[in-house]
Amino acid sequence: MPGRPARPEAGAVTTSLAPPIIETRGLTKRFGSRTAVADVNLIVPAGCAFGFLGHNGAGKTTVIRLLTGLTQPDSGTVVVGGRPLAGHRAEVLARVGAIIEEPRFHHHLSGRENLRVIAAVRGPQARRRIEPALERVGLADRAGDRVGAYSQGMRQRLGIARCLLADPRLIILDEPMNGLDPGGILGLRGLIADLVAEGRTVFVSSHLIDEIEKTCHAAAVIDRGRLIAQGPIAALLGDGGSSLEDWFLALTSRVGARS
Amino acid sequence: MSRALAGPMIAADILKLRRHRPTMAAATALSVGVTALYLAVILARHNGQLPGARTLGDGTSLMGLYFGSFAAILIGTEAGTIDVTAGVFRDLAATGRSRTALFLTRVPAAIAVALAFTLSGFLLTVAAAFAFHGATPVPGPGLIAGSALWVVLATAVITALAVGAGSLTGSRAVTLTAIIGWQTVASGMLYLATFLGAARDLVLVFAVSRFQPGPAIGTRVNPGSTNALNNLKLPMPAVTAVLVILAWLIAAAAAGAWRTRTRDA
Repeated sequence: MPGRPARPEAGAVTTSLAPPIIETRGLTKRFGSRTAVADVNLIVPAGCAFGFLGHNGAGKTTVIRLLTGLTQPDSGTVVVGGRPLAGHRAEVLARVGAIIEEPRFHHHLSGRENLRVIAAVRGPQARRRIEPALERVGLADRAGDRVGAYSQGMRQRLGIARCLLADPRLIILDEPMNGLDPGGILGLRGLIADLVAEGRTVFVSSHLIDEIEKTCHAAAVIDRGRLIAQGPIAALLGDGGSSLEDWFLALTSRVGARS
Repeated sequence: MSRALAGPMIAADILKLRRHRPTMAAATALSVGVTALYLAVILARHNGQLPGARTLGDGTSLMGLYFGSFAAILIGTEAGTIDVTAGVFRDLAATGRSRTALFLTRVPAAIAVALAFTLSGFLLTVAAAFAFHGATPVPGPGLIAGSALWVVLATAVITALAVGAGSLTGSRAVTLTAIIGWQTVASGMLYLATFLGAARDLVLVFAVSRFQPGPAIGTRVNPGSTNALNNLKLPMPAVTAVLVILAWLIAAAAAGAWRTRTRDA
């Protein structure tokens, strides 16, 4: 298909066989009478870029907040790296980096100082990772500037540097392409690919289907709080040769019509 | 929480505060600035001389009860709310670190920063009391040490209260209004409400004032002067004052820690 992006090389990533880094069972979260997340059984294989697709308001951010222990499920369990989050929060999250919704910082501090704040909370090893993380995301020369003067793209990169302080096995990025210019998007795609090549799992939540197709090996789709599909992208699309966007729109409209 | 972790976390909280220019500027104005202005006015009114012990008493009240305590409230409030208002609390919570630990490290950090201001104001007073005492005696070392300790106590208590209240509300405006209103307007009215009797012992500022060195209970620090600074002493036993201070601190810490633990990040 002309102009169609090449899917990322699955390479060593065997998404169907790799042990899951994230496994949720019956995950349910209600806000008053509204069920934001209903009976989600999500399996994210380790060592891949995993897309989490859904329309705005589908429940993506709520799932991420449940995965990072920021909110408690009404029922169901979250297991990360083989350990249940409930009761092992500190150990589980010690090796998880996350940008939730948008990266927030103390604007009156420099980029480096913001990392020092998080590193202080994460522990002494995280402090030693500050400079390599800044180098990694290309912010070493601007690390002394106040974050208030950073562009959206620079803040996104600083957010990833903050994730790297954990030496994470799992990196969760919520709508990471939001507000990025084309150069920033390209840079982020490359960074995600590099992180996966190091054996880390990158969980990318987005409503930008095209980006998921370009970046991820496997994906799950959430619609109205329910998980309606998951698996390697090639397997999800089947042999029909359709794009992920066509498939996603067909799937969500079919589910919508049924409900 | 281990000491190896607590030290850097406190240092990080101090960093957030001392880099916050508006707060630091306001705290400077309220401590060193107000003290300098006050000393300048008294010097002008007393033909270039400062009555030593009385000046020290005034400076102590300024830092422990009045403007210095406003600076401490400002810093404590900032420490209690800064992560929430910046939206960074979510990222701190997502590290998996105990939220109680996140709260607890704010308290010593805020106290350390607040003390830098109130003790600077106090030291300025001491220096002026020696430099311009003229024919009057200089304050003795016992009075200076006692006054300094009281400024430390008053600053630490009010800062801790502000950290707890700030962490509870998550709102700078609400916390500042509530604490400054309570400490000045409401407590000032309660001081005059003699019909309340011993119930007034429960007011924090009276319990803290119980330990302020200097003039006797209910007297003015500067009798007969239009710039008189009232102390706020009530005749209460020292044990009662200690228990009241501890009760306020425990309540503030419990409320702040509870909200930090339960806050939706």
